[in-house]
Amino acid sequence: MSQQTLADKVGVTRQTIFAIEKDKYSPSLEVAFKISNVFKTPLEDVFTYD
Amino acid sequence: MNMSYKEKSLIASLGVTLLLFGWYLYGAFSNLSLNPELPGFIEIIILIVWVVVLESIIQSVLAIKDKLQLEDERDKLIEKISYRYSYGFLSVCIWFLMVQILLDTRFDNHLMLTTPYGMFHFLLLFFVLSEVIRFGTQLYYYRKGV
Repeated sequence: MSQQTLADKVGVTRQTIFAIEKDKYSPSLEVAFKISNVFKTPLEDVFTYD
Repeated sequence: MNMSYKEKSLIASLGVTLLLFGWYLYGAFSNLSLNPELPGFIEIIILIVWVVVLESIIQSVLAIKDKLQLEDERDKLIEKISYRYSYGFLSVCIWFLMVQILLDTRFDNHLMLTTPYGMFHFLLLFFVLSEVIRFGTQLYYYRKGV
């Protein structure tokens, strides 16, 4: 899945998805849940806290 | 470089602001006087119209190349942070001018800053600088992350 496709499904910009992947932005809970729903995986499998 | 439409738009706005207002303020203060002549009303209107026209042209060009994106939560967060810094700076400057007025009134000092011409140009300078801080802060957080 491309960043743009994920961004469109979640409702954010592609640059926001890029920033999340590069650890330059922590999304809100709403966006985090939307991302995990897109991948159909639990939230804790998509995001980790270091 | 993965710049969004928003970042390019900010760089354009920053450039236009610095170019036009910088040119005007340089002309106003170039004779090293803190009491430059007050421009006519028409000149100020022309300057503002130029700023708006230039920004509109640049935004249109950018919109052709990049798909116009709605603001998402990251854009709004960065914008809020930038307004906080910009407002803080502007508040300090306004307080500074207010103190100057009080000192001038109290001690009959006649500082050049408190003449109408000086006040006008320093207010304009402070507003422009606060806008530069707003644009710069947004660009910084877009690059660094938030």
